[in-house]
Amino acid sequence: MPDWQEFVRRRLSGLALEAGEKDEVHEELAAHLEESYEALQKEGLPEKDATHRTLAQVANWRDLQRKISIARRRGHLMQKRMHQLWIPGFLTLTLSMVFLMLLQKFGSRPRIVWSGSIPILFYVPWLLSLPFFGALGAYLSTRAGGSRGAALFSSAFPVLALTSAFLLMFPIGMIIEWVTGNRVDYVHFSFVATALLKEGIGWLVVPGAALLAGGLLVQLFFSHQSLPQNPVIG
Amino acid sequence: MIGSGIKRGTAELAVLSVLQDAPLHGYELARRIEQQTNGALRFTLAALYPMLYRMEQQRWIRGTWETSANGRRRRCYRLTPAGKKKLSPLQREWAELFRALQRLTKVAHA
Repeated sequence: MPDWQEFVRRRLSGLALEAGEKDEVHEELAAHLEESYEALQKEGLPEKDATHRTLAQVANWRDLQRKISIARRRGHLMQKRMHQLWIPGFLTLTLSMVFLMLLQKFGSRPRIVWSGSIPILFYVPWLLSLPFFGALGAYLSTRAGGSRGAALFSSAFPVLALTSAFLLMFPIGMIIEWVTGNRVDYVHFSFVATALLKEGIGWLVVPGAALLAGGLLVQLFFSHQSLPQNPVIG
Repeated sequence: MIGSGIKRGTAELAVLSVLQDAPLHGYELARRIEQQTNGALRFTLAALYPMLYRMEQQRWIRGTWETSANGRRRRCYRLTPAGKKKLSPLQREWAELFRALQRLTKVAHA
């Protein structure tokens, strides 16, 4: 009987998987070939024909190798991104926004700083809370095996989401004006851009710095310690 | 013989349906599908495993290593709760499709 283990190992030596996982795939596929071969022999086929028909199950081993690598790695990548980026990021966003809503609901008033004729709002208690939320995002990401970049992305995620919203508002507003024909001629681009930029200071730049400060502190703290890494997604 | 396009669409349904009855390893799964469809659906190794791994990543099925009575190690696949949830609407969709095709072909023959 052919050595199916060795055969599969040679044919699928280039599987883009970790060593343990690769061995499992080799073992599983070799077991399948072995059973096919034995079943064909039980049907009365001579060894040569049984081997030939067993091998006919795979027309292109390189293609199979590629398909298996894609099928198994796609899930890992998605799982990794989910645990290292999206869950910590969205948690940081949700908690920071809920806290801001609670502050507003219970009457916390923003500190207003006038820049020319445009007011810039600062919710001081909210800004003070952001390093903690940023630290939490970075901690969860690092705990899930995330890189430094992933941890900082998670801690800064609330401002990244707000930046996207700010950047989308302007073109969407222009499109709505263009579609409805409701043009407001006295509002010039420079005026809107200045307003957005100044709003950005209170809502994006300062909160972003506060969130990143928390994230960086976590990074600094854990760079001296080794956190337990998740072996599944690490 | 059913064409390859339809086979691809039904492959996931076939795997989930067969695993609904009992956990099976890859070879046994392919054999069971072939038997139960009178050879209309046949999975070669090259077609079966990329699909099983994809379905496992989607968490519809779960594979665990088991040792049989004769000491052989086999990876057994079983349906997960997510797989069971996926199966019901899939079955409904395909049943609807086949009913529609039946109606269509009857009209065509009338």
